Amino acid sequence: MEHIISPIALYLVCGIGAVGVALALPRRAQSKTIEYLGAIVLAAAFGLAALLLGLKATESGEPMPNFFFYPFAIIGIGASVRMITHKRPVYSALYFIMTIIASCGMYLLLSAEFMAFALIIIYAGAILITYLFVIMLATQAPSSDAEEKLDEVDAVAREPMLACGIGFVLVGLITTAMFRGIGDLPPVEMSQSQAANSVLAQLPKKVDKILEREGLLEEGWSVARDHETGLAKIDVDARTIEIVLLGQDSHGHDAVSSSRTITADEWPESLAANNLDRLGFNLLNDHPMMIEVAGIILLMAMLGATVLARKHIELEDDLKAAQARRLGTMFNDGNNGFDDGYDEPQATGGQA
Amino acid sequence: MMHAFESIQIAQSGLAQLAFPSEMSNSVLAPYLFVSAAMFAIGLVGFLTRKNMIIMFLCTELMFQAAGLALIAFGRQHLGSDGQTFVIFVLCVAAAEAAMALALVVLLFRHRESLSASAWKELNG
Amino acid sequence: MMTASLLSKPLAVLAPESGHGNASEALANMVEHVGTGPKWVLLIVFLPLLGFVLNAIYAAIGNKSKLPAWTTIALLAVAFIATLSMFLSYEGTPYTVHAFDWFNLHYGEKSFVANFSFYIDKLTILWMLFVTGLGTLIALYASEYMSHDIGVGYCRFFSAFGLFVFSMSCLVMGDNMLMLYLGWEGVGLCSYLLIGYFYKKPAAVAAAKKAFIVNRIGDLGLALGVYLTFVHFGTVEYAALFSDDKLHSYINAAATGDFSHIPAQAQWIALLLMVGAFGKSAQFPLYVWLPDAMEGPTPVSALIHAATMVTAGVYLIARFYPVFLVSEFALPTVAWVGTITALLAATIGMAQFDIKRIMAYSTVSQLGYMFAGLGLLSTTGAAFHVLTHAFFKALLFLACGAVMHGFAGQLDLRKLSGVAWMKGWGIVGITMLVGCMNLAGLPYITSGFYSKDMILAEAFITPGYQMIGWILVFTAILTAYYTFRVFFRVFVGDQYCEPGEDFHGDDESHFHPHAPGWAINAVLITLAACSMLAISLAYISPDSHGWVGSLVEESTASFHSPYAEAAHHAHVEHTAIHAVDGPVGHAAPGTVFGMNAHTGMILVSGIGAIFGVLVAAFFHGPKGWQGLFLGGRTEAAKCRMDAVAARMGPIPHLAENKWFVDEIYWAILVTPLRVISHIFHWIDKLLIDGLVNLFGFLPRVFAWIIRPSQSGVLQGYAVSMAGGLAVLLFVVLVIVVRAGGAA
Repeated sequence: MEHIISPIALYLVCGIGAVGVALALPRRAQSKTIEYLGAIVLAAAFGLAALLLGLKATESGEPMPNFFFYPFAIIGIGASVRMITHKRPVYSALYFIMTIIASCGMYLLLSAEFMAFALIIIYAGAILITYLFVIMLATQAPSSDAEEKLDEVDAVAREPMLACGIGFVLVGLITTAMFRGIGDLPPVEMSQSQAANSVLAQLPKKVDKILEREGLLEEGWSVARDHETGLAKIDVDARTIEIVLLGQDSHGHDAVSSSRTITADEWPESLAANNLDRLGFNLLNDHPMMIEVAGIILLMAMLGATVLARKHIELEDDLKAAQARRLGTMFNDGNNGFDDGYDEPQATGGQA
Repeated sequence: MMHAFESIQIAQSGLAQLAFPSEMSNSVLAPYLFVSAAMFAIGLVGFLTRKNMIIMFLCTELMFQAAGLALIAFGRQHLGSDGQTFVIFVLCVAAAEAAMALALVVLLFRHRESLSASAWKELNG
Repeated sequence: MMTASLLSKPLAVLAPESGHGNASEALANMVEHVGTGPKWVLLIVFLPLLGFVLNAIYAAIGNKSKLPAWTTIALLAVAFIATLSMFLSYEGTPYTVHAFDWFNLHYGEKSFVANFSFYIDKLTILWMLFVTGLGTLIALYASEYMSHDIGVGYCRFFSAFGLFVFSMSCLVMGDNMLMLYLGWEGVGLCSYLLIGYFYKKPAAVAAAKKAFIVNRIGDLGLALGVYLTFVHFGTVEYAALFSDDKLHSYINAAATGDFSHIPAQAQWIALLLMVGAFGKSAQFPLYVWLPDAMEGPTPVSALIHAATMVTAGVYLIARFYPVFLVSEFALPTVAWVGTITALLAATIGMAQFDIKRIMAYSTVSQLGYMFAGLGLLSTTGAAFHVLTHAFFKALLFLACGAVMHGFAGQLDLRKLSGVAWMKGWGIVGITMLVGCMNLAGLPYITSGFYSKDMILAEAFITPGYQMIGWILVFTAILTAYYTFRVFFRVFVGDQYCEPGEDFHGDDESHFHPHAPGWAINAVLITLAACSMLAISLAYISPDSHGWVGSLVEESTASFHSPYAEAAHHAHVEHTAIHAVDGPVGHAAPGTVFGMNAHTGMILVSGIGAIFGVLVAAFFHGPKGWQGLFLGGRTEAAKCRMDAVAARMGPIPHLAENKWFVDEIYWAILVTPLRVISHIFHWIDKLLIDGLVNLFGFLPRVFAWIIRPSQSGVLQGYAVSMAGGLAVLLFVVLVIVVRAGGAA
């Protein structure tokens, strides 16, 4: 096992980061300087980590991550720190949105385009909006110049030292474990071309469209399909595609009249299965049950939320009784069919 | 340092769709994991530190985020789509959980008129 | 050394022909033929017990008549008749009567036998005669005296009375030391019950407790003596003990004056038994309970604290005389302690104003005489004095009780005068005079004189004890003085009385004294007659030692001083020896002022007694009355003595306060014990309770430490969970590193 970064350095970085976070956490009558100091320390820690990782990468000759990774990472971590240290809840939510955007950026770098935007739509667009609604329902934050009226709930952090210590230990441990274990990861199961091959083969119409756009398909020509599975006959490794011209045979059935193979040098560059295709096929082919379960979970959540947050309305007793009687007449014949719809309240109640 | 930035050129070519993502080496994976761990720990610290119940749940959402990032990173390394599928699921669960949590917070807020988690101390002692 | 020379001659006298080794033969002969006696002897013991049970039943059924008294009197009278029969049918050899087995243990070669059986010999008969006789008479007296308490109290009194006589019988008649101890404890218990009869009076309760506790100290000595006897001789039965060969060898050794070969264990038996005797018979330093015991009703004082219980110590020493002879220092100690007690009590008695207290101190003093007699090897003298003292002291107490009963509890001699001249009090006056004369020991006409004379004579004819003799003579003068002080102040002179504290009326001037009834008068007359008749006992006898001597001689207490023999011989040869003037030491041993001891004693003690009477008459006697009285007392409260006492400095004050002995005991013994008990109380509370409480406290401390972790706040628990996770992960990673062996 070799370490990407030696553990001591790692722990040191984490420790500095923890100190920074601890300083940044809100306290009563905290001067701004300390908060800024905390932020600077945190930045220093992160910079140190990046430096170490970079150094390791250069000396071992392995590639470093994409340049854009660094801004997104800095924004992500910085925004999350600001989220936990801000005194006002609305700002916290907004900083969280910033964190989500940074995450989105990192997803893009990791070739998960769909997830990136799905994250924005679902998380930032739905969940966080809900949070904002609830925050605005529940909090009465004063204007910015009256800091003293801030609810203690938001203004003071509880046990910052202990929490940061625990956090630091956890980060150090997790990263140590991850870095140590990276070398032991099992090898990638499928090869690049294998993965691509299966997906593309299942999208004959898409292949047709792209070939047509590229001008490789004449009129009436389409991609050959396998008779049993319906898969298109594409070989991504050898970069060949079989195309056929469908015509009518003597009996009137569809038959192959002529076929051709598009060779590797004719391979269009834009023919590739994109992330969405792959994700869709993976979702529906390999994990169909998950969709159903997810749907049920969401249904339950909706019902549960509705029931939980219902407001309990206090009725006077006689009104309750009238209500109950009315409900009762709806389901049986009682009351001699005498449906008055509404009972006068008793004379004893509420006379002015 | 030059070959480290070769991907910039690819990006500059209009962000053309890559044919298929290439294999990722460990040294590229490591920083993503570091960021994921850091975000997770920050989320944990926020959960333990803040008294406002809504902010506490927001911090749990941050932890979900971090987990998602780690999943995507590992999924990228494995060149399949499993990581992203799982993240869809995680997202779904996070949404459900957020809904329930907020409903509960509203309920609790109605009872005590306070958003402080320390207000609910009846199991004290 | 004193005892050595004492013993050598008489033991030689006892067995003149045989020489050495046969000194114990008399003892051996005596106990050799112990037979079994008739079973009706058991009536003497068990009838009073039956009385106890019946009276308890009367109390339970709520009897309100004098039936308890008549029952007790009847049962005791039958017991007395049985005793008389026992005396008349006695054939000269001791016998045992077995009631039932009590301890009959045999293990291996050893055994411990202490059965409920009774040993009858002449000493027993002597004691039982006056115990049962006096018991009957005093029960008759008490039937009238306690009549104002009829009901439960009356029954309680007579049941304790019956229990007492039963215990005394066990003590005297028991055939082993365990029976003696049983009776000993029983009489102590009954003394406690009866002194504390007026249990609502705090002084009475305190006096009862004091009596019991001080007796307990003596009982410890007695118990240890019993244990030591068993350890050394292997038996506690009298018959086996007195025929034990070891004891005989010791007696032989002691006869030659050789105490060095007698083991210390055997010598200590006597010393320990002596401590017990001191406790029960109120000798110095354990006498302090007896004056306080006067808080009990007068019949109790008369029976228990004058005639019977306090003589138990004398009986103990008399019964175990062979054991006492064997110990080098026991008998001299007994003699000296007795003398000191006699003198001390007499001085205190001279300054008291409560007539019952004076009589109590006189009892202590006379008991000292008896002990001195025992120590001087005159068991006959001691026993005779016990007998006469029983009669006249009981008489004196009962007369004082009659005064108390009639004058509503008034006992202060400064507040009574001329009682004998009051109507209906004549008999009391005459019998009181008889008693006082006996106590003072007026020569020839009183039995008290003869018994005291025996003891005094022994003192003078025994070499080395002459000092005791002079002290005892001086005490006799003091005795005469204080006895007649009481008589002259209370019974003669102008009539005056003040009612005592039992008087519940409004106007004291309308108080009339309540003259005694027939029961009291009858008993007083009987006792006075017995006192006078006892004179004859000094003369009726097969030999020169009197009837009592004959009884004592043929028991284990037999010992008569050889110097009496020598004195008799000296008397015979008196004509050959001329009287020599000067101090006694220069005269021939065994003589007083050159005369025969007995004759000399008669003169000395007689003159002394009369002198004491005259002094009392001078200081305390009333004015006038046919010119017989020399004193100038005209009122009850004042007399010539007051002027003299004022000039005597602190001595009268000290004497009146009993020489502060009680206070000294309190400071030396009671206060330190109290301090120690308080210390232990605090140690118990702080240390032991504290230790126990600490064990209860520790879980609370533990909980107090741990409880803050249960804060009820969600985040607190979350912190601990996360922290636990972190620690766990750290441990796992570290272990993995160690196990994996990687850097």
